[in-house]
Amino acid sequence: MTSSTTASFARRWPLPLALLAVLFVPVALAGPPAPLKLPDLEALAAKATESVDITLDAALLGTAAAFLDPSDPEDAATRELIGGLKGIYVRSYTFDKDFVYPSAAVEMLRKQLATPGWERLVGVRSAKERTTVDIYVSLDHGQANGLAIITSEPREFTIVNIVGSIDLRKLHQLEGKFGVPKLPLQESPPAPEKPAGK
Amino acid sequence: MNHDLERRLRAALRPVDPGDDFSAKVLARTAKEPAHFARPPRSPAVAGWLAFGLATCVVLGLLLAHQWQVRRTQQGLEARRQLIEALRVTDQKLDLANRVVNEKERAPPDSGA
Repeated sequence: MTSSTTASFARRWPLPLALLAVLFVPVALAGPPAPLKLPDLEALAAKATESVDITLDAALLGTAAAFLDPSDPEDAATRELIGGLKGIYVRSYTFDKDFVYPSAAVEMLRKQLATPGWERLVGVRSAKERTTVDIYVSLDHGQANGLAIITSEPREFTIVNIVGSIDLRKLHQLEGKFGVPKLPLQESPPAPEKPAGK
Repeated sequence: MNHDLERRLRAALRPVDPGDDFSAKVLARTAKEPAHFARPPRSPAVAGWLAFGLATCVVLGLLLAHQWQVRRTQQGLEARRQLIEALRVTDQKLDLANRVVNEKERAPPDSGA
């Protein structure tokens, strides 16, 4: 279709086009957020004693789901949990001694998570454990459709990004199966950020 | 003698017009016996080779299908392993968040934790 044809089409059908725009734009906005652009952590991986690099897009999640046994309660619960997911991305590095993490990588992630749509659910720093934990959620009508976790411990650095509809209650139900804790996710507001006491 | 032979040869080999109905006659005859031209007789050896080729194709097809199935299963099991590992790491980090939050709630306000 040429531009002149498009223009004449738009002139002839202004109302239907406007209605289509009104109908489809909220749907497009309500979709899950795009996966976070994870920083290049090759250098970190080279120094780690153990590293986990998992990239599961929608297709691979579907493949994994096909290999979960529906007759097994744990597998069935996992299948239900991942039903609405579009991707899981995990980068985790463990070191044999205390390590200083590249702050630029963390800042790059925080910048992405500072965009509208993302909310910080938990932001805590423990001076005792020298640990920082940030949990962000992307909410759409009260339903989480994205989750990001950034943790830095003296010997472990982890980034988790889950894309898609996540039912945090179902995650609670998996407690004890994968070691899911009972988090006061809805009850308490995000802890105020304090200096790490460096 | 030679001249006579030459004359007779020329007479025998002279171009002769086949006539207007020659093409029609040829076409009518080929139409009458099409099987002669379409399917030449097949020897038992050729039939044997054809059967062998067909059987080889079937076996190769089954082998490829089996290999594809094995690869797909491996990929599926690997994806399942990665999924379980990803959920384990996620849960571990949520557990860490829970611990740190609880620790902060329990700690006296001036402890700096």
